[in-house]
Amino acid sequence: MSQCRLSPEKLRALNQKYHVFCEIAEDLGALDEYPPHFHFSAKDNLCARGFQARAGSRILEGYRPPFDATAIARMKRFGGVLLGKTTMDEFGFGTFSTNSSHGIPLNPFDQTRACGGSSGGGAAVTCLLEDHVALGVSTGGSISCPASFCGVFGLTPTYGRVSRYGLIDYGNSLDKIGLMARRPEALRTFLPVIAGPDPKDPTSCTQAALDLSPTKVTRVAVPEEAMANLDRGVEAKFTEALDLIGGGIGIEVKRVKMPSLKYALAAYYIIATSEASTNLARYCGMRFGVQNKNVSQHFNDFFSETRSASFGNEAKRRILIGTYTRAIGFRDRYYLKALAVRQSIISEYDRIFQEADLVLTPTMPFVAPSFDQIERMRPLEVYQADFLTVPPNLAGLPHISMPCGYLNSLPAGMQFVAPHWEERRLLVMAENWNKQFQTRFPEGCP
Amino acid sequence: MKIGLEVHVQLPTKSKMFCSCPTTAMEPNNAICPTCLGFPGSRPVLNRRALELGVEIARFMGCIIAEEIWFSRKTYFYPDLPKNFQITQYESPLGIDGQVFLGEKRIGIWRVHIEEDPGRIKRVGRSGEEVSLVDYNRSGIPLVEIVTAPDMSSPEEARQFMSELLVELRHVIGTTPSDEQSVRCDANISVGEERVEIKNIQGLKNLEKALKFEASRQAKMLEAGMRIVRETRRYDEERKVTMSAREKEFEEDYGYIGEPDLGTYNIGNFARSVVTAETPLRRAQRIAGEYVLDFEKAKQVVLTSMALADVLEALAKRVDPEFAMNWVLGPISANWSAIHPRLDQQVQADIVRVVGQVADREITDSEGRRRIGAIAAGEYPDDISCAVADSELDAIISAFLDSNPNVVKDHATNPKAANSAIGHVMKTAPGKYNSKEVVEAVKKEIEKRR
Repeated sequence: MSQCRLSPEKLRALNQKYHVFCEIAEDLGALDEYPPHFHFSAKDNLCARGFQARAGSRILEGYRPPFDATAIARMKRFGGVLLGKTTMDEFGFGTFSTNSSHGIPLNPFDQTRACGGSSGGGAAVTCLLEDHVALGVSTGGSISCPASFCGVFGLTPTYGRVSRYGLIDYGNSLDKIGLMARRPEALRTFLPVIAGPDPKDPTSCTQAALDLSPTKVTRVAVPEEAMANLDRGVEAKFTEALDLIGGGIGIEVKRVKMPSLKYALAAYYIIATSEASTNLARYCGMRFGVQNKNVSQHFNDFFSETRSASFGNEAKRRILIGTYTRAIGFRDRYYLKALAVRQSIISEYDRIFQEADLVLTPTMPFVAPSFDQIERMRPLEVYQADFLTVPPNLAGLPHISMPCGYLNSLPAGMQFVAPHWEERRLLVMAENWNKQFQTRFPEGCP
Repeated sequence: MKIGLEVHVQLPTKSKMFCSCPTTAMEPNNAICPTCLGFPGSRPVLNRRALELGVEIARFMGCIIAEEIWFSRKTYFYPDLPKNFQITQYESPLGIDGQVFLGEKRIGIWRVHIEEDPGRIKRVGRSGEEVSLVDYNRSGIPLVEIVTAPDMSSPEEARQFMSELLVELRHVIGTTPSDEQSVRCDANISVGEERVEIKNIQGLKNLEKALKFEASRQAKMLEAGMRIVRETRRYDEERKVTMSAREKEFEEDYGYIGEPDLGTYNIGNFARSVVTAETPLRRAQRIAGEYVLDFEKAKQVVLTSMALADVLEALAKRVDPEFAMNWVLGPISANWSAIHPRLDQQVQADIVRVVGQVADREITDSEGRRRIGAIAAGEYPDDISCAVADSELDAIISAFLDSNPNVVKDHATNPKAANSAIGHVMKTAPGKYNSKEVVEAVKKEIEKRR
């Protein structure tokens, strides 16, 4: 299937250049077998037998889960060969995959720039290897963002569409496992493989049946609020894309107002960090991951010692924020209020979907930034970069990012959002777009 | 004095609350899996039986049942808690505002909810060189927490509440005495204004002792004009004293959030379909009311066995209930260990017949007792009981009068002449008939022959 034969050695060589894997399979034997198998990668927060699952964190050093995540098990059963685990921001906490303890992935279009995050390694591998499919995970945009920066198609299914069994949690009510590929046809092939109810994850058991039968997209809505704070170049590329959608593809583009979008970011960071701070409580050097040998101390000190030494700064920041937002006296003002905001954002999308098939925005307000630029950004600026990817994630809506233009040879992305369980509209849209738009990929295969 | 309890009882399920590990005790750390160890990537799946048992308890306590419930994360760091949060219920307990009765006294039930148990810490080694070991077999075992209003007014009453609760739960959800060994509770007690919480008391005896100690400690302090501080204390089982747990002054902040992995459950319809069997103490109350009997005696009967209560109720429908109670607590109880294993409908009918005959004075008390003994021994109906059927009384008298015709003649002038016939019956069938019955029969037969 591939134009070049993959081997662990070749992958290691590729990795030396781009830091996309944190662990590479020892043996790709099955790839040579007949009938042909396909290769895939998995973000490091997905558990796979035979690999460590460290979720980009030092605190999980040495954790070898004794089970496969359902999504990985289903890919393997379908003939998939797992090449390796891809680099990511620690626990998914980041927009550039720079908060990673096992290598920071470099953008295949320009190695001085970031891949986006938090599924950065996966997006970069997809960009570098033909016929590759990457399992990514999105909590607040962690598939759309790197797909945009690396110029690939990134599909985030409806919350509950893909079992989260075997996923190392960030925010359980937000986490979604999805796919990245160079071509939308691959997404159509593999979504049914990983989707479907799984008794090991009760939240996957109430899903509507996956229906990928043909459908027509006739009207997309573009919220005015999405056009604020965009990089000029990105805005221009997005506007060109709108012309192509309205012209060549013949889909009506309708401008709408979505005033509640501006609250999504705040609500998201409160809910996500509240959940994350409880999920990360278990990491204390006792039962898995890093082992703290200094047992002759009070357990509080033992836990603090491990956590202080092994969590990165962004993880610590989010634990603190999340602990604060659910504390007595703040819980009502932050956590409970954020839950209410989430409901009102879902209602606002519902309203838009009465008159449009999809909602369309740019994916990220800028193209992949350089590591120097990132270094100068304050945490709040980084959070604000997610303002277009967060709303559909908060609402649990399926969405897809795809390249919409190239700015100085760097891809810009646009993102379509569909109603719950309507992934097929996204695939139809992506396929239509891919017929009209010429995607570009750098020379990757070593 | 006001005492309120938070009682934790393990629910008798085969597997744990959120995984399929068994709940039966084994070697330490044998009944564990990624879920109950909180491994990253694992996920909880609710054991529906635990939810059902919890709802049954809430229904039994007459609680208002929530239509929809969800779970919450209670976050605190402790080595026996694998995820460092406990999955429990916070905003949506299964039931609220219920009640139970201790005799006549109403004890309010504030809430009933279910949650997972943490593991267990064991300290081993000599003092000074102690090592703490953690056994996670208990981690994830389902518990019900029952929170009462501070309606109990003495340590004895608190203990009575606990012991009656355990009796009732055996019948409501099928707990066994071995489940009861793990019963724990937190007790709030105030002698004056301020309350003190005693945490994690194991067992009924310790509950009463801890409360007694704490009541007298508080009373002494008040007498001495000292102020009682609101605090958490723990009970030292060996020294038999409560001690300040030296926790922070402020209420612990568990930072509750919803448990997103479990979603919501609609329990309203299930709750409405639950029919709770009549429990022993409820039955004692009904029996006392329905048959106008002493509650304590009724309680004694039901606590002996619900089958003995069946016998009591069958008897009370046939004879005077007070009379039935005396026979149940007397001869029947005395033979109960032998009767119980063979008790079936026939045996119960035999008992009713015998006690009925005594009540009707067809047979004497002592014959009744003898026959209950025979029932217990499996020898009823026996030779004597069979040999002389009731209708045979007339035949015995007839035969006697046939061979002694002057008895009838003498009786016209001297009623005492009948005594020879009565004496004959008593001699022929000792204990079979009561004297009043024989006198009547003899008189009737003599009249007939006039």
